Amino acid sequence: MPTINLNKWVLQSLTKLNEQELQDFLFRLKSEVSPINQDDYSIEVNADRLDMLSLGGIVRAIKGISDQEIGEPKYKTSETDYVLEVDRVPSRPYALACVIKNAKLSPEFYLKELIQFQEKLHDTIGRRRKKVAIGIHDLKKVEGKIIKYTLVPLSTTFVPLNQQTEMTVGQTLKETQQGKAYGGISVFNGQSPAIMDEKGILSLPPVINSDRTKISVETDSLLIDVTGTNFDSVVQTMDLIATGMAELGAEIGIVKIKGMDSEFSPLMKHTEVIANLNDIMNRLGISINGDDVIKLLRRMRMEAELQDDKIKVTVPPYRVDIMNYTDIAEDIAMAYGYDNFQLNSAITRGQGSLSENSLLYRKLRSLLIGAGYTEVYTLILTKSGNQRGDFVQIRNPISVEYDSVRNSLVWSALAFLSNNQHSRFPIKIFEIGDVVIKDDKSDTLHSNEPRLVVAMMDSRVSYEMIQAPLHEVLFNLTGITPSYIKSENELLIKGRSAEISLKGKKLGIIGEVSPEVLEKYNLLYPVLLAELNLNTLKEAL
Amino acid sequence: MLSENEIKILEFLKRKGEAHVQEISESTGLPVSTVYSNIRLLESKGIVKIVSEESKKTFQLTAEGTLRLENGLPEDRLISILNGKEMSIKELKDLMGKDFDLALGWARRKSLIVLENDLVRPKVAQYASPELIGLREVSVGKVPSKETLDILIKRKLVEVKEEKTMLVRLVQDVKPRPVELYLTHEMLVSGSWKSVDFKPYNVEANPPFFPLGKGHYFREFIEKVKDLLVSLGFTEVSGNFVETEFFNFDMLFQPQDHPAREIHDSFVVEGQGRLPDPNLVVNVREVHEKWWKYSWSEDNAKRLVLRSQTTSVTARVLSTKPKKIRSFTIGKVFRPDAIDATHLIEFHQLDGLVVEDGYSFRDLLSTLRDIFQGLGIKQIKFKPGYFPFTEPSVEVYGFIEALGWVEMAGAGLLRREVTEPAGVFSPAGAWGIGIDRLAMLFLGVKDIRDLYSLDIEYLRSRRVI
Repeated sequence: MPTINLNKWVLQSLTKLNEQELQDFLFRLKSEVSPINQDDYSIEVNADRLDMLSLGGIVRAIKGISDQEIGEPKYKTSETDYVLEVDRVPSRPYALACVIKNAKLSPEFYLKELIQFQEKLHDTIGRRRKKVAIGIHDLKKVEGKIIKYTLVPLSTTFVPLNQQTEMTVGQTLKETQQGKAYGGISVFNGQSPAIMDEKGILSLPPVINSDRTKISVETDSLLIDVTGTNFDSVVQTMDLIATGMAELGAEIGIVKIKGMDSEFSPLMKHTEVIANLNDIMNRLGISINGDDVIKLLRRMRMEAELQDDKIKVTVPPYRVDIMNYTDIAEDIAMAYGYDNFQLNSAITRGQGSLSENSLLYRKLRSLLIGAGYTEVYTLILTKSGNQRGDFVQIRNPISVEYDSVRNSLVWSALAFLSNNQHSRFPIKIFEIGDVVIKDDKSDTLHSNEPRLVVAMMDSRVSYEMIQAPLHEVLFNLTGITPSYIKSENELLIKGRSAEISLKGKKLGIIGEVSPEVLEKYNLLYPVLLAELNLNTLKEAL
Repeated sequence: MLSENEIKILEFLKRKGEAHVQEISESTGLPVSTVYSNIRLLESKGIVKIVSEESKKTFQLTAEGTLRLENGLPEDRLISILNGKEMSIKELKDLMGKDFDLALGWARRKSLIVLENDLVRPKVAQYASPELIGLREVSVGKVPSKETLDILIKRKLVEVKEEKTMLVRLVQDVKPRPVELYLTHEMLVSGSWKSVDFKPYNVEANPPFFPLGKGHYFREFIEKVKDLLVSLGFTEVSGNFVETEFFNFDMLFQPQDHPAREIHDSFVVEGQGRLPDPNLVVNVREVHEKWWKYSWSEDNAKRLVLRSQTTSVTARVLSTKPKKIRSFTIGKVFRPDAIDATHLIEFHQLDGLVVEDGYSFRDLLSTLRDIFQGLGIKQIKFKPGYFPFTEPSVEVYGFIEALGWVEMAGAGLLRREVTEPAGVFSPAGAWGIGIDRLAMLFLGVKDIRDLYSLDIEYLRSRRVI
């Protein structure tokens, strides 16, 4: 979940709410607020509510849910003489711009908050600037009224943000911190996308702005550019910023667009969702009349009207998360309050069942525990160095200790015993669990396979010490007498190793672990062991 | 019935009539303390009488006393080293080592020296302490004057030993019966058990270790959770660890460029899986492209991962087009994360699904209330939440006495963009609960790694709940 920091006093005074009230209302808006120091709150915002990543957006939402201001706010907009000419930029084709007048960037907290909003949008809807990036400029430092979005050669020079001297675009991409982080995203045919005014580069999307048009607490009007690879996301980002600023008192100045489908910007895109009231009430399981539904939606800062048994909702530009009627239903539920749902008395009752595997495991567990074996429960991920044969290797492990998925429970059992050589003897353990094996019949090319491992370690051991209890367990479980066929297995001592079968089906192996294997696991005591495939066991039942 | 030792003592007394404990010990070879305890037993049985009991104090040199007798007391040594002349503390320390502090203390207490700055000046040229004479007396069995003796005891040079003695007389002759260790089958057959006594065991001693067979405490907890879900009418289902992104993400309406799908948020497995029923694939592509507005890629959907959520199992259940179902799954999920006391890279989720005509958000909240009540969490609250595949969405918080409100589950009604492509047209509710964290709360486990402990003594020490 994205987190933003906001000034406590500013938020409290803009919403006219104290800390406890803020906590309660933000909880109802999927958010959590906690003080981080004397002056600041940290606010967790849910990933869908991009509008709430800004001070303006949060204030707008809180005023609504606390019933101070409802419906969609009317923001001041006006025409400007600014024009954005969009050239063909195949690697990043979409660009919009807008002018913001009477922007509130002072005291410094407001400036920081705007930059924070920009960064949060980069990380979320912008997918780390790949999909969308935003440039913010001091309008008074922009030369001329014609702004161009075009490709420039890497040799073009300008002063990047916070640099002292002119650099080429190529240098900027290679040498500045932002250049290194984002430089590779949109370079196309040895050229970089750029937002230009009459004098030169304003910004190098999605990398960096120019130092020339840098904003400060003295700035009161802005030029904002948004570029990206997805038109809808560019539109939404532009609308989110413009409405966020407007909520704090700014005026939105419209810029003419040339070279794109849209002729002006911001689009302030409204959408309509028409839903059957009954569908919504059925989905929620509550009953509210149409007028009250409209009131609830207005508290979520949306306008709506009734049309017979339907409701028509006008989704404002800042609610980019709303897709269709289910989202409207959630907003109604949130405004209604999740706490106000009258819960049904015990609606769930029994006729459920355990899976076949769970039932089998329970029988096996109780028999093995009766035989004096202690159940262990180990991790599925393990060190590939411990395994033999074919196993699933993780391509992006975070540690060599856990870089593969176990293909046998034997490795888990031996590692467990190795860890317990100073414990009280004898040590008798079992584990029932899944391993993963390659399986071309599966659509994932792999399958889980349930296995049982039984193992025993003591100062002296003999084959029957594990064969006898396992024999009784299998007989009691299946009613079939297991049979044993001498076999060779590289894990076990030659002549002390057998295959266990039930009705001719090979279940697994049993025997005494070979000293070579013990040595590999740093085991200094003899170990007896059996591993069975429980799928085969089920087939024999 | 008499023990072997009692019989030995009686046999000796039968010859002697009466004897001191020390005598009995010497002739039977039993330690004095054993003789004492057996005499007490015999007395209580009325077989012997204790004629007299007395105790005698003796004095013995301690190890230090012996040493001092040989080398002189520290203050004596100090005076002798000074030999009438003053010396510096440092010089004396070097000569006397760790005895110096002791010597200085006693010499000052006895006014044998004067300290001036770091110089020690003797007030006497020679000195032999009364303690030394006392030690000599004790060593030859004499008792020194009370004053000297008290100092010697206080200085831990001499210790007092109290020796008890007891005169015992046989008063009743008993014929001892043979004592046997084991009652055997043969004794029972022949009836010989009637004429023997059985050696008593030390029944009050703790027994040796016994390796008990035992279920794993965390597995037991998981089984209890399964029982609860079954009792609420849910059927258990399961799925594989290796999963296609299609079921782990795409079917759950997570766009392919969603941050949760980035490589560092799931474990990647080599290879390309196969996509399911083409209709389902087409439908999923359609909703992704319609609502998320991007070009959906089959190749991305075929990628293999270790499932990062058991909701992938729910997705697979949906792909079977159930008209009505209540199912649940408990299983491992895998996520790259730093490993510490509260995080592991594999842990359990409990995922549940209800598909039912008329199932509403209110029903879902009621279902969650039922589940948490069954788990023993009476107080819960609901917070609006966000998951790409549910709407409305809710997070469930449970109240735990020691911790306050703890986030325990995420839930919601599945979006139609999830159910309809699969061919499910009834409302569906789904939820996921992190089981490891819940188990830690219930089982009092502070470190998540203990749930998968490799230490058998830890498992043996866990109380069964």
